[in-house]
Amino acid sequence: MAEQSPQQEAFPKGSVKTYNLVEVVRGRTNMIEKGPDNTIFSFPVVAILELLITLGMSAVLVLFSLVKNAPLEDLANPLVTTDPAKAPWYFMGLQEMLEHAHPLVSGIILPGVMVLFVMAIPYLDNSRIGSGQWFTSPRGKKITLWTAIYTLIIMPAYIVLDNLFPPRELLRGIVPDFVAQSLIPVVILGIIVLLPLVLLMRSKPNAREVMLVLFTVLFVSAVVFTLSGFLFRGPGFKLYWPWDMPNGYNPLNNL
Amino acid sequence: MSILNSITNSRIWRSFFRHGWPDNPLDRSLIMTTNVFFHLHPVKVNLKSIRAAYSLGLGILTVAAFISLALTGTMLMFNYVPSVERAFPDIVALQNSVPFGQLFRNLHRWGAHLMVLTCVLHMARVFYTGAYKPPREFNWVVGVVLLILTLGASFTGYLLPWDQLAYWAITVGTSIASYEPMMGALIKKILLGGPEVGQASLTRFYGLHIMVIPAILLLLISLHMWRVRKDGGLAANDLDAAPLEDGQK
Repeated sequence: MAEQSPQQEAFPKGSVKTYNLVEVVRGRTNMIEKGPDNTIFSFPVVAILELLITLGMSAVLVLFSLVKNAPLEDLANPLVTTDPAKAPWYFMGLQEMLEHAHPLVSGIILPGVMVLFVMAIPYLDNSRIGSGQWFTSPRGKKITLWTAIYTLIIMPAYIVLDNLFPPRELLRGIVPDFVAQSLIPVVILGIIVLLPLVLLMRSKPNAREVMLVLFTVLFVSAVVFTLSGFLFRGPGFKLYWPWDMPNGYNPLNNL
Repeated sequence: MSILNSITNSRIWRSFFRHGWPDNPLDRSLIMTTNVFFHLHPVKVNLKSIRAAYSLGLGILTVAAFISLALTGTMLMFNYVPSVERAFPDIVALQNSVPFGQLFRNLHRWGAHLMVLTCVLHMARVFYTGAYKPPREFNWVVGVVLLILTLGASFTGYLLPWDQLAYWAITVGTSIASYEPMMGALIKKILLGGPEVGQASLTRFYGLHIMVIPAILLLLISLHMWRVRKDGGLAANDLDAAPLEDGQK
């Protein structure tokens, strides 16, 4: 076998160098600068932490169960409707929504859009910046705080105003039902949800900041609607103060 | 000490536990990788990811609530027949004459509310810490499905006491589904097994509540936790990674 010239020999035999630079690739490996300094073995620390959380939760649950009994009303009777008839508390946001728009919009389309949006969040905001950091940045924290305050004010106001002057009733017969029951509520809610986003757009937000606004509006709205339906709706599904319900109705008994 | 050693060195013990006493790095790794429950966790964790202020322990709390619900639910099953004649008297008897019956029912009820609550808060925590970002997108979707299943588990359990509260809550809840124009009536019929809440609904809700939904939950919770490990642990780890270069997502 003829000797190859050194120029052609890519991997010379007998060399002490056992590695070679093949190509430069932009990227990072999982363990770069994640030295052993910051890591500990999961066993036993994580196992003990999980055990402590479980024991703590059990203790709180047992204590609460000793103080407060699960509710049990009379035998189910299809002939006697309870007043108000309420869904379980986590669906009271949905039931509250039903008061403000056509059931197809408030019971199916809007919740469906919300679930699809929540599932799509990581695909709409696919940058890795700020992963693992509460609110990503001080600016993100500020955006979240102001959006939460905004939603906490405007959503209860919407519920009360829409209850006092319901366009569905006031515009009955004046405009088509579709406009009064579906279009107007969707437009009003759409403006409420998108308004903080429009304000934010002036400062050129990134995808994460847009998600912070949208998720915060949806999350705080869900909380407000759930509390409104669960605590503030009394007989006839009318709005009352929780401590001032007629007929001795106590919303907390619905848990 | 020699008795202890002879036990832990016996062939029976060694066949159960394929690792030595976990006081050294090798055995602390082996205990995590050879145990089916531990292996959902990573062998090593970043100190940042176990800070209480980061995760608030909400995921573990949800799992703990799920386990507690499975245990207390089994106790309730032993004293309950899902028929419209028997269900309500069974609950009354459970509360009045079964030892600790009222306590187990309370634990199950409040535990169910707690699980819904911690599940929702866990989702908010994951969102606000940006822990849904790549490569964790898929696990976020699994988490949303888990939240919906948790609501389903709670909702199907709500009917079982067969009192006025249960009956009308399920009547109201399922009527929301019927507003869907194309499939709504069909979905309601499939759920209730008839035009209104009755024996068929109780049978279906019971089956879903004690078997179908918990089985899927168990499977998806395992997937969810295993996926956390496969995606590099909690997202707090990412903070110790190299700073991002220009043009890199």
